[in-house]
Amino acid sequence: MFSDDLLLSLLWVIPLVGSLITLAIPKRAEAAIKGFALGVTLVTAALGVAAFAQYTGASTKAVASAPLQERAEKNVVPASNLPTSGISDTAPGDLVIRHPWIPYFNIQYYLGLDGISLSLILLTGLVSVLSCLASFSIDKQVKGYFSLFLLLTASMMGVFLALDMFLFYVFFEVMLLPMYFLIAIWGGENREYAAIKFLLYTLFGSVFILVAILMLYFWTGDGTATLYQLAANAPPDMAVVGAGPQRAAPKLPDGAVVPQEIFSAHSFDAVKLARVAAETSYYGPTAQNWIFMLFLIGFLVKLPSFPFHTWLPDAHVQAPTPISMILAGVLLKIGGYGLVRLAWPLAPAGAYYFSYFVAALGVFSILYGALAAMAQTDFKKLVAYSSVSHMGYVTLGLAVMNLVNDPRYYAYGINGAMFMQIAHGITSTGMFFLVGVIYERAHTRDLNKLGGLWNVMPIYGAVSFLIFFGSMGLPGLCGFVAEVFVILAAFNYDITLAVLAAAAVILTAGYVLWTLQRVFLGRNDHYKGLPDLSIREMIIAAPLVILTVVLGVWPNLILDWMSPSVTNVVNQVVKSPTARSYMQAAPPAVTRISPEVLPR
Amino acid sequence: MMSNWQGWLYVAAVLIPLAAFTVELLFIRQLKRLNAYIATAAIATSFVLSMIGLISAVPSLLAAHHAPSAGKVEGEGKVDAEGDVVKTAEHGASEHHGGPHAPPFAWTGGFDWVALGGGIAQPSDSLTGAASPPTKPLVIPIQIRIDGLSAIMFAMVTFIATLVHLYSMGYMSDDPRYPRFFTYLSLFCFSMLALLASANIFMVFMSWELVGVCSYLLIGFWYEEKKNGDAANKAFIANRVGDVGMLVGLGLIWAYFGTFNIADINGGTIQEHGHAVSYGMSDPGLRDSIGRMTPASAGEVVSVKMPVVNGSETTLVTRKIPYWILVVAGLGIFAGCVGKSAQFPLHVWLPDAMAGPTPVSALIHAATMVAAGVYLVGRFFPLFTDGVLLYIAYTGGLTLLIAATIALVQTDYKKVLAYSTVSQLGFMMLGLGVGGWAAGLFHLITHAFFKALLFLGAGSVYHSVHTYEMPKLGGLLKKMPITAWTMLIATLAISGVPFFSGFYSKDAILANSLFFIRQRPEHLALFILPAVGAMLTAFYMFRMWFLLFAGEPRKAESHGHKAHGHGHDHDHGHDDHGSPVDHAHESGPLMAWPLLALAVPAVIAGYPWFVFPLSGEPVLEQLLAAVQPVGAVELGNSHMLAFGASLLIATAGIGGAAAFYYPGKIKRFEAANAAKRFGPVYNLFVHKWYFDEIYDALLIKPTLALGRGIAWFDKTFVDGIVNASAGLTLAVSKFEGFFDAYVVDGVVGLTSRLVYLLGDWGRMLQTGRLRNYLAILALAVVGLFAGVFYWIRPTP
Repeated sequence: MFSDDLLLSLLWVIPLVGSLITLAIPKRAEAAIKGFALGVTLVTAALGVAAFAQYTGASTKAVASAPLQERAEKNVVPASNLPTSGISDTAPGDLVIRHPWIPYFNIQYYLGLDGISLSLILLTGLVSVLSCLASFSIDKQVKGYFSLFLLLTASMMGVFLALDMFLFYVFFEVMLLPMYFLIAIWGGENREYAAIKFLLYTLFGSVFILVAILMLYFWTGDGTATLYQLAANAPPDMAVVGAGPQRAAPKLPDGAVVPQEIFSAHSFDAVKLARVAAETSYYGPTAQNWIFMLFLIGFLVKLPSFPFHTWLPDAHVQAPTPISMILAGVLLKIGGYGLVRLAWPLAPAGAYYFSYFVAALGVFSILYGALAAMAQTDFKKLVAYSSVSHMGYVTLGLAVMNLVNDPRYYAYGINGAMFMQIAHGITSTGMFFLVGVIYERAHTRDLNKLGGLWNVMPIYGAVSFLIFFGSMGLPGLCGFVAEVFVILAAFNYDITLAVLAAAAVILTAGYVLWTLQRVFLGRNDHYKGLPDLSIREMIIAAPLVILTVVLGVWPNLILDWMSPSVTNVVNQVVKSPTARSYMQAAPPAVTRISPEVLPR
Repeated sequence: MMSNWQGWLYVAAVLIPLAAFTVELLFIRQLKRLNAYIATAAIATSFVLSMIGLISAVPSLLAAHHAPSAGKVEGEGKVDAEGDVVKTAEHGASEHHGGPHAPPFAWTGGFDWVALGGGIAQPSDSLTGAASPPTKPLVIPIQIRIDGLSAIMFAMVTFIATLVHLYSMGYMSDDPRYPRFFTYLSLFCFSMLALLASANIFMVFMSWELVGVCSYLLIGFWYEEKKNGDAANKAFIANRVGDVGMLVGLGLIWAYFGTFNIADINGGTIQEHGHAVSYGMSDPGLRDSIGRMTPASAGEVVSVKMPVVNGSETTLVTRKIPYWILVVAGLGIFAGCVGKSAQFPLHVWLPDAMAGPTPVSALIHAATMVAAGVYLVGRFFPLFTDGVLLYIAYTGGLTLLIAATIALVQTDYKKVLAYSTVSQLGFMMLGLGVGGWAAGLFHLITHAFFKALLFLGAGSVYHSVHTYEMPKLGGLLKKMPITAWTMLIATLAISGVPFFSGFYSKDAILANSLFFIRQRPEHLALFILPAVGAMLTAFYMFRMWFLLFAGEPRKAESHGHKAHGHGHDHDHGHDDHGSPVDHAHESGPLMAWPLLALAVPAVIAGYPWFVFPLSGEPVLEQLLAAVQPVGAVELGNSHMLAFGASLLIATAGIGGAAAFYYPGKIKRFEAANAAKRFGPVYNLFVHKWYFDEIYDALLIKPTLALGRGIAWFDKTFVDGIVNASAGLTLAVSKFEGFFDAYVVDGVVGLTSRLVYLLGDWGRMLQTGRLRNYLAILALAVVGLFAGVFYWIRPTP
């Protein structure tokens, strides 16, 4: 239907253009602005669905859902290095586009989709439509709000699309700007503090990401191996990796040439560098440890995980409802996406080396967030801390790297982590929306003042129970699948951590049930006569409710097309010679099943 | 052997309530009271289907039971009652019918729910890095498996559920949330049947949580009262504590056995190269002479043969499992059962759960859901090592005693029944723990009938008198004859009076524990606990019946008839207008008929083929014994050995109750005096052994305090560091601003100030007066010349 160029570019260009057009609509025409913005988000979401159709469609699937690396290598950037020359898609229909952007630095305009990013593109499309609908109650500086809103949508899409790390970084930073203003202008009473905290904290994190990206770019080999030595193993177009301004081989004072040529990867290409990391030992253990830690810190801020999470409760409490929905539904997922797209594949050995630490951090976040949530009296803050707790499962799922005793369990871990991203995207969007609904009516979020709302607002109550149960991990609802995959995979990694993670389900049940009781159960004459959900609100809630149930009952709806991409990540980690050297160094105490008889 | 149509019967029986639930939920506003009919019709259909399935299975079960089978020697655990159980691990197949080696009665079918981890190119087990073919995925299937046990359970659950639905149409008819009630019931029925049908422990866990949430919703059904909401939360959270254990078991089983399939783990025999090989936990190599699994050494690593299906052939693969993993996994699974079946130490939720409507108490909190824990122990029996089984037995023993002692002193008749349920579940656990597999599950079934009857009777009483306090009641026999007589039947049954179902099953458990302590005398307590417990049961049950139905209605003021009046003085004074019994009446037919219908199995469920002369093996037990797993002990007819003990116990209990509570003319014992004499013990019982207080002080309060502490820590320290670093940055920049302003800028400023001053000073020169200019000009000329002549001196 579309060419890759058009489809992938439109995904972020349309909201961007929409954002500009919004500025041109007269200020008074608020309805027009709202309608237009909704239209733009709908079109964007529809484009996401079109990409999904191409990725999974029977006739296009073979081309579009091949492993990302395979597809990327078919899209070679024209050698001329001129931005104007490369407008020909060498592999149409594969959902990857590559053009030179700043050739001198080997920076590309490089977009692509695989199962992992596609799931998040769809989530972004959905959440932006729903939060746009939820934004209809905004009545202050409507024009500016929706313009920034669409800019935010554009940058989120861009982050999930970009495969060039420089481009990724640009989108990543651009995203902060609209978010800052959306909190700082349309937020609650303490909005400026929250907004500046969000901005500075995220900037702080992104510095680490930038350093990691530059380290990958300028790395010259750790003295034991260079790309040239590894050429036999290297990707076919490795020449491109080394292209660019190469330095002449330095000479020693006595005239001898330095035996190992000084050389740098000189690329921001995430896919190619992942292949280098997976198949060669160009990035040695030390380099990978550094790169991994830098990425980890950067993305943990975004995720957020303990101890970098304190911006989240403030930002959530102060942000207007729709922005909270986006923040929880999409922005946090960028942290998890960054980890699974960059940190793990680009530094598999680093990830393996630090896996216990990361897993422990994940478990700690789960427990810490749940306990902190239990003590909150502000409904919104409680949901915010529950996000910290749930995002801990993402870290844990990624880190349960027992690759020696049957790596298939690890596939469940990463799949669980990714499923948690989606499930949490759905339930937390729903929860923040529901909190907003009650705040609009009762003008309080104090859990001790609410109560008895189920009798007053029966539909609202039923929706809330379902969404909160989904978040709590009740079987048959989406949160369960994610939690149980991660916890089960953790048992193959470390029993102590797994038991602690499992024990967290008590705390989760505790705060969720206690919250539901304080909000919905009991009797309360104070709120008699509050209106139940309006039609618009029901339209917002419906997709979330349906997805919560459907994904819980039939997780294959996502896993079918997402898990092959996850398997690729597992394969990259398993293959990595540096990671393998760690595995050889510390074989397991008990081999549960002899490897020859693993089902093939 | 079971054929496909029977399997599909059960699939339908599970799914029909789900369909009903979906319809009821989506159209609740349109259907309104019709919901009740839909729900009842659905569960009734499931009952019919289950009965067809069971009846068609009975012949093959009996045949299997009577077939001469090795290991059915008294005193030795049966090696394998299922004959040769093979090939149930067919992942991906849409359905599966038993092959030539299928068990006498089992139907398995299912599909892959999730299959992940396929296509991993280089599993690094070998550590060589050599290329190897990609892995096949690791599958979590949705599978159902119906065997004799689940078929019997299906029939029992659907029968009671149908009656409870009918009863609820009467009991709940005035409730404003009547449609919602039936919606919940349908969801419960689906979840419960799915639990019974589950072939793997993962599905069990899913339905386990689902029945839990139904229980939560129904306990808190009248959520306007805070205590009901609290009770619901307590139930759910206590269950979740158990479920954590279950998750641990699940995780370990999955990691170490590589499958969730219960039948595969339980094992059986398979034909390999022409001869039968035992696999799974049925492998006799894992067991000692009495069929129990004990470690050879502390750190033993057990080799378990697990089936792997490759295309059409099944091969056995050896898995290495440390013995302690088996112990922890077994304890974990049992922890789930402890939560669900309200065993010590998680029994505290069940009495509070009586806050729910009484039909719910009958269905969920007496007959079906709470028995699921016992069912699962039975289902997964071969997994449990000797130590775990002993732990199960002692848990059951302790629970049955604690609960029975509390039941002795309750004045709320629904609470008496609740503690009685806990106690009876303890009996079942103990029975299973001592190896009496068929006995424990047999008691599960009989108990379900008479306990559901008792609860429905209690509901009928409440419906009529609107109080749960026994001291206010009495003499209801004349006003509510159906309720009174049916409850008497159930009371006789639970007390273990011959010719009532409970006698046979309780006797079977006692016989099993007697047999067990003959083998292992050091565990004498495992016979004493149930014997004492059985006596207490007979005592408190008849106490309840006497207090409710016998004699004359008590006036609220009269102290004489109150059992333990001094503890409940606050009950006085509210109702001077006489006893609530005055307006009592028999319940309507919708509520009375289910009582009568339940009274039938409450009597006959335990009967052998020939009731006289009290010696045959009960039919139900025979059916169960046909499918009993490895490690179970079957005593056959010989369990009548415990007959004497049972009879003595029942007589003592009932006699005691009559002595204290029968309102006759002859001089009898005063309960109040006894209470006074044993004050401390009495207080312990009345306060339920202080479990709630202890948990509150040791677990709940500290957890909440920890939460508050963490929230404080988060705000003060974690966020404090963030704010402090922001503050520090701000301070640094302020300092820098200061430095900039006063030092860097100071130098610049000084220079400019100097220039300014100079200029300012210079400005003074510009006076605009000619004479000043001329004077300056003159001075300048003089100065210039002086300079010129000084520096540019003409050279001599």
